[in-house]
Amino acid sequence: MKFAIALFSPPHAPSSRRALRFAQAAIAGGHEIVRLFFYQDAVHSASGYVVNAQDELDVPREWREFVQTHQLDGVVCIAAALRRGVLNTEEAERYARTAANLQGPWELSGLGQLHEAVQMADRLICFGGP
Amino acid sequence: MSTLHVLSHSPFGDNRLSSCLRLLSSRDALLLCGDAVYALQAGTAQRQALELMPEVISLYALDEDVQARHLTPPERLNLIDYPGFVALSCQYDKVNTWL
Repeated sequence: MKFAIALFSPPHAPSSRRALRFAQAAIAGGHEIVRLFFYQDAVHSASGYVVNAQDELDVPREWREFVQTHQLDGVVCIAAALRRGVLNTEEAERYARTAANLQGPWELSGLGQLHEAVQMADRLICFGGP
Repeated sequence: MSTLHVLSHSPFGDNRLSSCLRLLSSRDALLLCGDAVYALQAGTAQRQALELMPEVISLYALDEDVQARHLTPPERLNLIDYPGFVALSCQYDKVNTWL
């Protein structure tokens, strides 16, 4: 089965962890994730500047390692990211900001990527709210 | 077309659960996760509404969320883990999360 997963909630929301565990279970079960799309407050999970206490769950780090390990297509909504201060090097230069906090494996792109993911996948699974 | 409806908001804070219950058709199912499992709390109208759902509509909840809140589930409830969640997503034609 091909899954497209859309996440709408910030890293501290339980639904963010739920999305991660679902994605891990999908891969472990032999399914394919055609794309992860981080929208609205979920863009914070793609920031490389999030620091969590060592003994606490680090959702942004877990996502990053998960996407890297399985070579997934991790797309972050560019409009949602810019307004929340999540920028890659290119955008930081374009808007004259002093630093970039979005690095690989994430890519900034538009909402069209979510639409395309829905076309490619058998199921769209959304996670958001609490 | 069968749909798995996924709820995660507490049923005591908004009307997602009651709206969802009105929309369910006979081939659909309901999955409670996060604070939505509070609908299983004994002696509440929400729990009664779930128990009165037609038997053909399956009721699921994420086991970890039910355990974390120390709730005693009704007999018809199926407790699932994440691999079970993935399996349900495959079993139903669509997954509708009440964001």
